[in-house]
Amino acid sequence: MPAQPDKSAPKPFPQSRAAAPRSAPGDRLFTAFCAAAVIAFVVFIATLIIADALYVDADAVRHVVSSPAIRHALWMSIWTSCTATAVSLLFAVPMGYILSRRRVFARPVIDAFIDLPIVFPPLVAGLTLLVFFSQTAAGRWIQQDLGIEFVFQPKGIVLCQFLVAASFAIRSARTAFDDVDTRFENVALTLGCTRLQSFRRVTLPLAANGIIAGGILTWARAFGLFGPLMIFVGSFRGRTEVLSSTIFLEQSVGNLEAALAVALLMIFIALAAIIAIRLITRGQFRL
Amino acid sequence: MIRTEHLTFSVGRFQLDDVNLDLAPNEYFVLLGPPGSGKSILLECLCGLKQPRAGRVFIDGRDITREEPRKRNIGYVPQDYALFPHLTVNDNIAFGLRAAAAHRDALRAKVAKTADLLGIAHLLDRRVVGLSGGEKQRTALARALAPQPGVLLLDEPVCALDEAMRQSVCAMLRRIQTEISLTVVHVSHNLEEAFSVADRAAILNDGRIEQSGTLDELLRRPRSEFVARFMRCENIFDARVIGRLPDADFTTIRVDAVDLIIPGRFDGHLKVVVRPENVIVESAAQPPAPNAFPVRMTASRDFGSFIRASLAGPPDLVAHLPAAAFATLAAGPIRARLMPENISPIK
Repeated sequence: MPAQPDKSAPKPFPQSRAAAPRSAPGDRLFTAFCAAAVIAFVVFIATLIIADALYVDADAVRHVVSSPAIRHALWMSIWTSCTATAVSLLFAVPMGYILSRRRVFARPVIDAFIDLPIVFPPLVAGLTLLVFFSQTAAGRWIQQDLGIEFVFQPKGIVLCQFLVAASFAIRSARTAFDDVDTRFENVALTLGCTRLQSFRRVTLPLAANGIIAGGILTWARAFGLFGPLMIFVGSFRGRTEVLSSTIFLEQSVGNLEAALAVALLMIFIALAAIIAIRLITRGQFRL
Repeated sequence: MIRTEHLTFSVGRFQLDDVNLDLAPNEYFVLLGPPGSGKSILLECLCGLKQPRAGRVFIDGRDITREEPRKRNIGYVPQDYALFPHLTVNDNIAFGLRAAAAHRDALRAKVAKTADLLGIAHLLDRRVVGLSGGEKQRTALARALAPQPGVLLLDEPVCALDEAMRQSVCAMLRRIQTEISLTVVHVSHNLEEAFSVADRAAILNDGRIEQSGTLDELLRRPRSEFVARFMRCENIFDARVIGRLPDADFTTIRVDAVDLIIPGRFDGHLKVVVRPENVIVESAAQPPAPNAFPVRMTASRDFGSFIRASLAGPPDLVAHLPAAAFATLAAGPIRARLMPENISPIK
């Protein structure tokens, strides 16, 4: 005779999802609200891009692709933004490290100065640079005596982008170094490393994801910069024109399709940059 | 091998105060103390990761107080191991050898030898992420040992492991220390851990060394109430000297209403400790004996290797009894008896 199940034995804990406790109505409403916010925002952005894409015809795309001026602007946007990003990282890595590892005098003031360019109204950044190089003795000395010209020059684009975007790289680098436990460096020191070696072999590789992510953000900010450039370097076709000013120039002469085609080009490049962040950091570093 | 003279370090309100240690070559030394007592800070001062405010540190007779960590010839395993997560096990072990610019063949041979010593040769190609606690621990040890340091400094090396693993790792640490003739400073808050590895130990309390010596000395001759309590001695009594035995080196003291004879000459008031395992509990029908007084068992608990009995006096006592001895006390009045040599006076 088969053994009968013991009815007095305690029942096992529910394992299936169906048996999980139901959440309160308020909780379900909250979850639904959060999900709705995500969907609404993504749909909003996607709709805008689709609307742009629908407005652009094949002629406009051909014009953008074949125009030497626009190709020059694309190249100008790419090299200036990459240079500005490289210079930003040159500052960001040592600054981020020292701010993360050492007690720094007047830290709140220094932090405020680092963050200031992020909250600068764009036009103010351009105006400030223009005033410095054209109205102050130091600026005139750099331009006239040293012969390093920035105003209305491609070098000015890099300087403008650096001023506006470097803060992102510095903040990201500092956060990345904050996330690296100092015990790793300490162990490296006991294993025969100097401070510089421990930085190069341990701290920098461990902070690399965060620094790269900051670099991509910096590049994206520099790549899309417009307002300060119009004041500081202008938008001279074939000389200081970048993609963002191309959009302005094409739109101002009534060539809306071409302006939108360039805008779409910028959107796709920005999208590629954001996807690159996700791929490089592989979820280890969240912006 | 490693010596500190009046070592002082302060951070915030905490101060490591006048620490004097002297470790012999090839000695396994355990720094014991409760959390926050300054054990890890002392270890970091020995490593050179923290600069003492005063005092000196010597290794092999050389004053290394102002030397950088890399020049101290030490191996250091921090709490939680701090393995480099961006490197494989092989590269972690080779890290110190690469810093010393070891030749590639020599490096490979040393990594293989160290990995063999710790039984992790099969893990060399693995990344650190995903290793078990015991594997991480052995990798961290291998990394510290590969450059062949003179002194190995271990900060709570087994605290993250389960009990069984802890015992096997302690046995391994002791075997390696003997095999490669290493001086080891091992920080721990766990008494069992100290018993399984230590030649000698020191007990830290709030930045000061309360006592150092063999574990037997710490156990049976604690110099302070803190040491006695840390060594899990629960029977600590206030006593008053009431006389000395004529022609003998013994003093009679009174604890509560009970007179006890203890070895040595004392005056005034003192504290005495009796280890729970040294309390003899027997039938009250036994012939009269010195240092015996009636007690009543109020509670008992079986700990496997012994039975912990709470005895109401006066004075109240805790006794650790073998199961066989406990079984004989089932019925009838009982008494506690303390051998004079097992009553230790403390400050």
